[in-house]
This record gives sequence, structure tokens and C-alpha cells, in this order.
Amino acid sequence: MQLVDRIEKRRFIGRELLLWLWFESEVLDGTLPTASQGELGLWIEREVLLSNGKELTRVKGAAPALGRDAKEALLAGKLPERASFKVSMGEREASFTLKAETLALSSLRLPTVLDDGDEPAPGELGAGPPRRGRARRSTVEEDEDRARDAAALAFQERMALTREIEAMLEALYADFLRLRLDSHWEALVVPAMRTWASGGRIDAERYLRARRAATHRARRR
Amino acid sequence: MSATKGSLTYARFFVRGDAPEVQPERALRAVRLHAFRPLVPDEDAKESVGWCRFGEAFDLEPEHDDVFVDEFVNLGLRIDRWAIPGALLRARLREREVELLAQKGRERLTRVEKKELKEQVSRSLRHELPPRTRAVDVSWAPASGVVRLFTQAAGPAAALGELFKRTFKVELVAEAPYTLAARLGMSAAREAAWAAAEPTTLAEEAR
Repeated sequence: MQLVDRIEKRRFIGRELLLWLWFESEVLDGTLPTASQGELGLWIEREVLLSNGKELTRVKGAAPALGRDAKEALLAGKLPERASFKVSMGEREASFTLKAETLALSSLRLPTVLDDGDEPAPGELGAGPPRRGRARRSTVEEDEDRARDAAALAFQERMALTREIEAMLEALYADFLRLRLDSHWEALVVPAMRTWASGGRIDAERYLRARRAATHRARRR
Repeated sequence: MSATKGSLTYARFFVRGDAPEVQPERALRAVRLHAFRPLVPDEDAKESVGWCRFGEAFDLEPEHDDVFVDEFVNLGLRIDRWAIPGALLRARLREREVELLAQKGRERLTRVEKKELKEQVSRSLRHELPPRTRAVDVSWAPASGVVRLFTQAAGPAAALGELFKRTFKVELVAEAPYTLAARLGMSAAREAAWAAAEPTTLAEEAR
């Protein structure tokens, strides 16, 4: 299989990732275990968009994925095209929309961001080292320098937080792939997702034990 | 479109092959060489693409400290395009056509004359109207090979690939489920499972 085919003909795997995240976040009450990052809080909020070819189902609301509309769309053969997630890592929370087929993030609201407009006072975080030999420089130039330093610092913080979110998603994706590219997907995950989508009861503890054992075995291979 | 304000919307790209070593002075010269050049009304180009300063669409001479921030190479991707409103173009064309027909003492123009007239009118309107300017922040982390383009629109993504290749001589691959899976590590067994994967459905009739 050519690289382009492995990319283009298997984009549906991204939709299955979203489906699995949705399923696990509901069944495990919003706390997902990961092999590399420990436990993470994750659930769908605001919107989930499902599709199957040209047919679209958009479900909006505080907890759009919990309702029957979204589950009925799954049972009609649709899969998530994009979904808005809330994520909590320790005491921090972020939200974003994840597009299934490109794994691209939009509307990413980061937990904490330094103010990118105010000037830091000398000695404060972001103020930079004391400057020398600039007595003759105009205030405008100094203001520009300070604004540039503050913007650079704010950017660095935003990128650090962005990479944390990306690392979290990559950890979840790694666990998903361990299931998806193994027999556990058809044997364990798909039957459980069908029961869940149909409104049946899932024994979360039992599922979690089986899932942990499956990902552990897949990791060792 | 901004990486520094508000919520973030972006697409990730990865440098194909080994991560190149970025030598700041050389990289900055390459950026300057491929800096944005404004469109000229009398020239044929309908679009111009080039680098500008990160976050500053109209600063076309980014300095070292603008570009190299921490481990990032930050740039602005500026795309200008002539965008003449169709209604205005049609109205001007009608006016000029009437004038031309009167001058020539004819009732209609040939297809070639119409084409030339459209080109003339478009060109004269380009002198009156500014091009549509779009600037998108781009942040490249050479060590990890990841390039973040702060939009998900297809046009800037294609323009970025071209400009990146011309500037840094590297090819970008857009993120997709497979590219991320490959970076996370795919054994031969997993590659085979990937190639054989069929879409999952929860549809009741499929059971």
C-alpha cells in the first residue's frame, strides 16, 4: 500500500478515534486512563457532528453526546466528523474541537495564558534582563522592545500548553491504536460500543479491566 | 489566524525525512529572499505569496528576534489576491463596451476584443482597489519537525507547502491519522493491520 493510500484511504480511523473517545468518556464517567500520561478528564461538550457520506447530524447543547439523537445517528451508521471536547489535567481545564480526518484542533482554549498586552515590571517574569547602554534610545523603541518580549513570552507559554494538549491526545491515540490495530477492537471494543449506543448497560469496571489487559498485551508485542 | 491571541485554530504539518539543521543566519536570508512582494496592478500575477513578520502582515522585513523565538521559527504567511467585485467589473465592462462600440461604429465586439477589454478594465480597477490581504501565523519547531499553520483553510495550507519548499528546501506532509500513527511507531504487524483495516460501523443492519 502506497503512503498516499495509507493516508487517504484510512482517514476513517480518525472518526473511530472520536467515537472511541466519546464511548470511553461516557462509560468511564469522563476519566480516561492512558498508558503514558496517567488519568485524564475528557468529555464531549457543546457540539458533535456526525456524518455518513452527505447525511449530517449536528447535536448541540451542554452535553450533546449524552442524548439519544447522537446515539441514534451512530446506530444509523454515522460516525463523528468532529467533536468539541473539554479536558481536565489536574486542576487545569482546556477545551477544543477535534476534526477526525485531519486530527486538527480548532477553538483551542488554553488553561492559562499570560497577558500578552501588559508590560511586565522590571524584575517580574517576562521583564527580561536589565538593559544597558540604551539611555539615548527613544521611549517608543523601548516600548516596542518590551511589547515584543512580552509577546514572545506569551507565545512560548501558549505553545507549551498547546504541546501538553497535543501530548495528551497522542497518548490517547496511542492507546486507541493498540486496540484498533489488534483483535481486541472487534472482540472487545466494538461489541461494547454497540451495547452502549443501543442504550444497553456496560459494566465499566469489567470493560476497564479488559481494556487495560488488552492495551498492556498490545504494548508488549 | 493568530497564534498569540484568543483561542487557537491550526493545522499541523511535518517535515518529511530528517529534520534539517536550521542555521539562523542562512534561514533568515532565505526568508528575506522569499519575503512577500506586493502585487503590481499592471502585472499579470493575480496572487502573491511570501513571508512577513509573525503577527504583522505589513512588516515585510522580519528581524532575527522576530523569527527565532525559543526553539521556534516564527513567520507570517502573507497572501494577497486581487479581488474585484463581480458587479463592479460587469458595470465597468458595460460602460467601456458602449464607448468602444460607439467609437468603432459597430453593434458588437468580437470574442477577442471582449477578452482584451475585460483585461483592460480589470487592470484599471486594480489601480483603484487594494488587493485582499490575508496573513496567517506560522510556527515551525525544527527539532521536532512540526509546523503549525494557524488556520485550517485549504488555500493557505497549499501556499505554505510551496513557500516552505522554496525557502527551506524541505517538504511538508499534512497531519492525518496515518502520519500520527507512523510517528508514534508502527511495527510491521501494525502496518499490515492498518492496510487491512475496514471502517467500523455501529449500524444495526450491519450486525
